[in-house]
Amino acid sequence: MRLTALLAAALFWLAPVPALAEGEAAAIVAANRDQIEKPSRQSIGQVVTALAASGDPMADDILAAWAEKRLVVRKADQALFLATPEGDGFALTALDGTPAGTAAKAELTALKPNAGVRSVISSALVQFTLSDPDPAKRRAALDSIARDTSPETLAPLRASIPTEDDPGLRAQKERLERILALRFDPDSAARVAAIRALGTDTALDTRAALNPLVATTRIAALKAPGGNVARVLVPGRDLTEAEAYDLLVAANLAPARLTAEDQRAALVANIVEGKVGGVPVADLNTEAARDRAYTALEASGAVPVAATDDEAAKVLAAHRFYDVFTEPDPAVTTAATDALAKIDRKVAAMQAVDLGLDALSLAAIYFLAAIGLAITFGVMGVINMAHGEFITIGAYTGYVVQLFVPDYTLSLLVALPLAFAVTFAAGVAMERLVISHLYRRPLETLLATFGISIALQQILKNVFGTQARPLTAPAWLDGALTFNDVVSISYIRIAIFLLALLFLLFFLWLMKRTRLGLEARAVTQNPAMAASMGINPDRIAMLTFGLGSGIAGIAGVAIGLYAKVTSEMGADYIVQSFMTVVVGGVGNVWGTLAGATMIGSLQKLIEFLNPSNTLAAQTYMILFIILFIQFRPRGIIALRGRAAGD
Amino acid sequence: MTRSFLARTPSVLIFLAALAVFTLAITLLSEGFGAGLISTSFVKTLGKTLCLCLVALAMDLVWGYAGILSLGHMAFFALGGYMIGMWLMYARTEEIVVTALAQGGLPATPEEVQQGIATQIFGVVGSSELPAIWTFAHSLPLQLTLALSVPGLLALVFGWLAFRARVTGVYLSILTQAMTLALALYLFQNDSGLRGNNGLSGLQNLPGLTDTSQDLVSVWFFWASALALGLGYLALAWVVSGKFGSVIRAIRDDEARVRFLGYPVEAYKLFVFTLTALVATLAGVLYYPQAGIINPAELAPIASIYLAVWVAIGGRGRLYGAVIGAGFVSLLSSLFTSGRLPDIPLGPVSIAWVDWWLVILGFSFVAVTLLAPKGIGGLFDRFLHIGTPDRKGAPLGPDDGSLQEQEAQE
Repeated sequence: MRLTALLAAALFWLAPVPALAEGEAAAIVAANRDQIEKPSRQSIGQVVTALAASGDPMADDILAAWAEKRLVVRKADQALFLATPEGDGFALTALDGTPAGTAAKAELTALKPNAGVRSVISSALVQFTLSDPDPAKRRAALDSIARDTSPETLAPLRASIPTEDDPGLRAQKERLERILALRFDPDSAARVAAIRALGTDTALDTRAALNPLVATTRIAALKAPGGNVARVLVPGRDLTEAEAYDLLVAANLAPARLTAEDQRAALVANIVEGKVGGVPVADLNTEAARDRAYTALEASGAVPVAATDDEAAKVLAAHRFYDVFTEPDPAVTTAATDALAKIDRKVAAMQAVDLGLDALSLAAIYFLAAIGLAITFGVMGVINMAHGEFITIGAYTGYVVQLFVPDYTLSLLVALPLAFAVTFAAGVAMERLVISHLYRRPLETLLATFGISIALQQILKNVFGTQARPLTAPAWLDGALTFNDVVSISYIRIAIFLLALLFLLFFLWLMKRTRLGLEARAVTQNPAMAASMGINPDRIAMLTFGLGSGIAGIAGVAIGLYAKVTSEMGADYIVQSFMTVVVGGVGNVWGTLAGATMIGSLQKLIEFLNPSNTLAAQTYMILFIILFIQFRPRGIIALRGRAAGD
Repeated sequence: MTRSFLARTPSVLIFLAALAVFTLAITLLSEGFGAGLISTSFVKTLGKTLCLCLVALAMDLVWGYAGILSLGHMAFFALGGYMIGMWLMYARTEEIVVTALAQGGLPATPEEVQQGIATQIFGVVGSSELPAIWTFAHSLPLQLTLALSVPGLLALVFGWLAFRARVTGVYLSILTQAMTLALALYLFQNDSGLRGNNGLSGLQNLPGLTDTSQDLVSVWFFWASALALGLGYLALAWVVSGKFGSVIRAIRDDEARVRFLGYPVEAYKLFVFTLTALVATLAGVLYYPQAGIINPAELAPIASIYLAVWVAIGGRGRLYGAVIGAGFVSLLSSLFTSGRLPDIPLGPVSIAWVDWWLVILGFSFVAVTLLAPKGIGGLFDRFLHIGTPDRKGAPLGPDDGSLQEQEAQE
């Protein structure tokens, strides 16, 4: 009777004049005043629906205020207002939106809908915003539902889908509807359908929604539990016997075992005249003697009886252990398990792609760091131990440039050639002053350049201090190129990759297409013959050394962009660079590329297999390289001819 | 050729006599046994320096004589230190744990002692299990055997792999450096079973000698170091004096030619590499009880390179050169880095020796390599009027051994 009246009232207010919505909400409230002041969950739905459908801009304010207990009755005239806390009292707003002055707390009675009513109101509010004419508001509402999922939001979300005209938002709504449905829909078939419909969506929120469905608890019981059993566990195979016994103890199915500390404490507490249970204290220095003493104490009743190994085994054998799904519906858990397995496979594939990208970018860094070393080693047969310091000098050049040029893009454009110039000059100076005097003494060159390395590193430390200096990348290099929740790569790494590619092409051009490259290759193959042909090996050596050092400087800027610039940063890369050269083979750009790719991929792979421990990863990588040298002592791409003979 | 070994190498007697006089002098001046003019910490520094001289001897044999620039010998040195450190730490902790457990009213069971030691030693890396590599740490003889056999085996396997693959020259240097780095990185992990970057500490406290003053202990270790250095010098001088020495010097100068003459070059190199690794290990075993602490930073490749620097500055290819270089540079190093020298004021900035010592060392090392390849030992040559043959003029071609200008005219 009441219901029909209410419905009639709602229809009466709704049907005739939807266009003149202003003030409509106030009228609905007035018509249903008694319902609103003493609402019940069963019947209030009609009023809320009527309000929600009224089209009055005030309706959602009223509903929101009501849900938040801010809809108040003024005691003086029993009129309804929206109250907003202001100073000691409240600012009042009439239901049609006009301000209505202020009132003290004592003058007002707030309407306090119970939790059931509030949930009806809030789902109505959701529907409000989900059908808002402004797409931005609809999107915000979707986001807030996705953040804070609750069963009440499912129905309004579903209701809002047919009227959604924005295709992007509609897809988003449908997806969210599935995520909500698989958790909250009362119908098992609908939940399974929702899980199926999601398919192999690898997004984090899908996985976050599916994972609770397959959550299990581990229980011990005498017979099979009634719930949705995930699997039966066998002690000794699926879990250790100690864990199984701990489960029994936790479920109060068995007494706790006697720990060594408890036994010790019990024995100490029962020392009588230098003896415990008839065993002299001095003899209690073995487990066996202590067990004897404890058994004697048990027999006399002085200590509680502890489970022996036999008893523990018996109890274990008597019980069964299960993983039980917290979700009671087997159809849902099966579907979720399947879906997760499929998603896991897809995620694994994507992780492989991501790993590949990481490996490529690491290889690019190693290539940049090692190419200069490989060129000088190939042409001159000397290893430049100060190469790492040239990398550092390049990075510090970038840092100093940024001190003078505040614009990061511009400073980067200045720093790259400047770093090249500075380290080129340093390299040529070092070659002229030291290395040219030590030709044909490669081991001494190694040590002399090492002496320079020590000195340079310490000088840099003295000049720039020990703390890390920033080398800031321009804003357009911030962030990452994100393909999905799994695969992403930062722009800096892409830039470094492109830089490495650029240098690869540059070196190929230099070595194959220029006079200098021709002469350098000749000197690499046979310096004496090259000299006889009128090539000046000293000049070639000087230029290649300068070039190799210059590229170290550029590599330093590139590395400095994503790592901190310290005086030791070059030393961190030097061993990897050596490895790259040794593995790749000397005097060949392709060899260095192959070496860098191999070392980079290998390092990433080992880190992936053993993610907790990057130190171990490096250890294993070096071990691998030592073994690799066994099979290809001259590297992946070895020089042929006389140069390989020494 | 019939003359005795000592007659052929008079430097051995001179060296041993000098070492004996030095040891006696330090003993008489020490706080433990004599006038107390030299502080205990300086006696320790000298003892450590003697150990460094011993490892420099090994480096000289492998580099100066056999031409293998190993950048891994300090790894063997540190491994020896770790092995002896395990026993020192275990035995010392055992004493503490047994005393502590005895307070509890019951005599300790072996399991409790084991557990107590494990917690005491490994609490710092969040573990209370004694790793498997500590199985023998309770026994000094067993652990000493390990101390020599583990680095020895490592050197043997690594050397066999490297020499078999004919890895030579700078490749070999880089490879040994990589081995050192791999070992250091491995030890830096907490689950390596050797306390990660905390390393082993408290090694200066000898188990069972808690009441003995460090004044005495330092002199004992000084004696042991001097004895080891003397015996090591004698042994290595004997090794390089005979035919064996000629072969390894020949390998250094032209490996291919020695191989064609029918000598098993790889076997010779492997023997020298392993022998010197053992000598380095022995030096480490004596060094770390005096240093008191060891951590993976001691294995860093840089340490092995400093070793090469000492030998180069002292003079390669002569054993006393290595000893002089190691002693001279490491003592100078500890003087400059001690912070006891006053800063040099230069107007607005002042130059601290601690900061600039490495710069000086680096550049003087370059200078020695360039200008005085014979190092400090070369001074003795000048004194004895031994010079290099004067081949007159610059080489005619860039190849090794090409004729010099004057030779070509003759």
